[in-house]
Amino acid sequence: MKALGALVAAVAVLGGGIPAGAQAPIRIGASLSLTGTYAQPGRYQHEGYKLCMKDLGAKGGLLGRKVEMVVYDDQSQPATGVRLYEKLITEDKVDAVMGPYSSAVSEAVANVTEKYKKVMVAPLAATTEIFKKGRKYAFMILSPAEIYLEGMVDIAAKRGLKTIAVVNEDTLFPKASTAGTVELAKKAGLQVVFQEAYPKGNQDFSAILTKIKASNADVLAAATYFDDAVAIARQMKELNVNPKMFGVTVGGDIPKFHELLKQTADYIYGSTQWEGVLPYPGAMEFYEAYKKEFSQEPSYHSAAGYAGCMLYAEGVKKAGTLDADRVREALLGMKLRTMFGDYQVDKDGFQVAHKMVLLQWQDGKRVVVWPDDLANGKPRFPTPPWNQR
Amino acid sequence: MNVAITPEMVGQVVISGILSGALYAMVALGLALIFGVMRVINIAHGPFLMLGAYTTVILHQSLGLNPYLTLPASMLLLFALGVFLQRTLVFRVVDAPELSSLLLTFGVSIALVNLAQLGFTSDLRSVEYITGSWPLGPFALSKSRAIAFGVAAIVSGGAFLFLGRTRLGKAIRATSQNRDVALVCGINVPRIHLVTFGLAAALAAAGGTLLSVIVAIQPEMGQIWTFKSFLVIVLGGAGNYPGALLGGVLLGLVEQLASLFLTAQLSEAVAYVLLVLVLLVRPTGLLGGRQT
Repeated sequence: MKALGALVAAVAVLGGGIPAGAQAPIRIGASLSLTGTYAQPGRYQHEGYKLCMKDLGAKGGLLGRKVEMVVYDDQSQPATGVRLYEKLITEDKVDAVMGPYSSAVSEAVANVTEKYKKVMVAPLAATTEIFKKGRKYAFMILSPAEIYLEGMVDIAAKRGLKTIAVVNEDTLFPKASTAGTVELAKKAGLQVVFQEAYPKGNQDFSAILTKIKASNADVLAAATYFDDAVAIARQMKELNVNPKMFGVTVGGDIPKFHELLKQTADYIYGSTQWEGVLPYPGAMEFYEAYKKEFSQEPSYHSAAGYAGCMLYAEGVKKAGTLDADRVREALLGMKLRTMFGDYQVDKDGFQVAHKMVLLQWQDGKRVVVWPDDLANGKPRFPTPPWNQR
Repeated sequence: MNVAITPEMVGQVVISGILSGALYAMVALGLALIFGVMRVINIAHGPFLMLGAYTTVILHQSLGLNPYLTLPASMLLLFALGVFLQRTLVFRVVDAPELSSLLLTFGVSIALVNLAQLGFTSDLRSVEYITGSWPLGPFALSKSRAIAFGVAAIVSGGAFLFLGRTRLGKAIRATSQNRDVALVCGINVPRIHLVTFGLAAALAAAGGTLLSVIVAIQPEMGQIWTFKSFLVIVLGGAGNYPGALLGGVLLGLVEQLASLFLTAQLSEAVAYVLLVLVLLVRPTGLLGGRQT
C-alpha cells in the first residue's frame, strides 16, 4: 500500500511537473474602455491588469500554467462590451474572464458571462443592483455607492452635529449614493433637513445653495461626479454658505480638484476606494512597482483592477481548477486583506468587507481622516466660515 | 424635504438672476446682431464663447495676466476669427434659406469644439482669481459675478452706442432694416457683414472671458450658451437689440426663481415652456421682431 502511495505521488509530481512548460497558457479575456468617455479610468484599470499578469508570471503562473490576457476596447459602450465578451468566450475560447470598466458596462456584460457560466470578478462596478439580481458568477470588489459618505456621517454624528442637507446629480450612481447617505444619516440620528437633485451638466447652483443656506444644515453631502463638485465648492464660497462639514462622493479624491480650486478646496471632504498611503499589506509595494512600470501614480482604478485580478487568481488556486462552479465556491468562501483592503462577499457575490475611506483636503494635501484604523490624520473640524479660512 | 422660502432668499436669487442675466444679454446680443443683419442663425456662437474663455485662461496661466485685462485680447482674437469665417464660409449662406446657415454653422461649431478638445484636451481648467463674496445687507454678492455684470453692462452699452451713434453702427442697423435700400444708399453690405460677424464673435468672447473667472471651463461648455442665447433673442424678439437685453435679464430671473420655488431640474423646463408660450402668444417676441 505504501509503495503504491509513493507511486501515485510520483506520478502526480511528474504529471504536474512536465506539462507546466508544455501546456497552453491560461487565457483571460476582458473588454476595457480604452477610448471614449471612460478612457481615463479604463486605462488605469488596464494597467492594473497588466501588472497583475506580470506579477502572476513572476510567481510561476497559475495551476502551473502561464497566464496571459486578451483585451479588447469596448469604447465605453455597454453594447460593444456585450459583443466583445460573446466573442471572447465563443470565438477566442478564453479560459476565464475579468470585468470591464464601469457599472454600466459591467451590468450589460454580466448577462453574457452568466449565460456561459463564467466567473466574472468585476473590479470596477460599484452599483449594488448588478449583484442583487440573482446572478451566480459575478463578484464585486468595490464598496457600494450607498456607503461612499459613511465616514462623513459617522464623524458628524460623533461630533454632535444634528442636521444634514443632501444634493445629487440625477443619474444612476449619485442617486444610489444619496439614498444610502440619507439612510445612514437617519440611522446615526441626523435629521435630513433638505434634499434635492439637479440635472447632469448643471453649472449654476445659486438657488439650491440659497435653500441650503436657509436650511442651516450642519452638514452638506453632495453625490457628485467631478465638474459639479468643483462648481458647488466655488459657489458655496460665492454665496457664503458655511456648513460645519461639506463632502462630495466623486471628485474630491482627484488631485486636479485642488489644482482647480486652490485654497477653496481646503477643508472639503472627499471619499475614495483606495489611497497609496493606506496601511494595507502590500499597498506601498504596489504603489512603487506601478510607478516604476508605468511612470505615473496609480489611481484607485488601477489598484482595484490589480486586486480584482489577484483575487480571481487566488480563487483559482484555492479551487485547484478553472471550473467555474468550484472557483465560485472558493471566491464565496474567501476572506482576505489585500493591498486594496478587505475582501469578503455575501452569497450573491456582493462586497461586504471593503471599506471606503474619507479624505479631507488640508493645506493642499489629501489626508485620510476616516476610519480611525486607516487614518493618517485628524479631521480639521469644524470647517471655519469662508471669511476665516 | 424642503425649506420655507423667505423674502431674503428671494432677494438673493433675484440678485443672482440679474447678475447672470446681464451676461446672457451681452452674449445673446451677438447672436441677435448676426440674425438681424444677415438672417443667419449662428450655432457656433457658444463655441466662440468657449474660445474666448480659453484665450483668457491660457493668457492668465502662461503669462500670469490679470484675467480681466485679457478681455481686449480675447475680443480682438475672436473678432478676427469671426471676420475670417464670414469671409471664407458664412458669406455663402447669407442669401440661402435659413436651413443652410444652420447646417453650415453647426458644422463650424462641431469643428471648433473638436479642435479645442485636440488642442486643450477635455480637462477642466479654471482661473482662481477672485473668489468669494461681498456682504450686501443680508445678501452675498459674488465678486466674480458682480464684476462680470459690470463689465457686461459696459460692453453692451458700448455696443449700443456704437450701433446708435457711429456711422458704421448706423450702417449696420440700416442693413439690418433693409439691405437693398442700404445697398442703394451706398453702404458696402459685404463689409458690413464682415464687421457684424466679427463684432458678434467678440461679444461672445467677452462672455467667455468673464465666465472663465466664474466657472471651470472645458471645450463643450459653449453649446448650452448657443441655446440660451437663442432662447433670449426669441424671448426679446429676434433681431431686436434692446429685446435681447430684456430677454437676457428675464431668462436669468426665470431660471433662478424657478429653481428656488421648484427645483433645479424643473428650472430648465420652465425656461423652455416660457419660450413655447412666447412663440404661441407673441411670436415676434416681447418687444417685437426686428425693427430698431
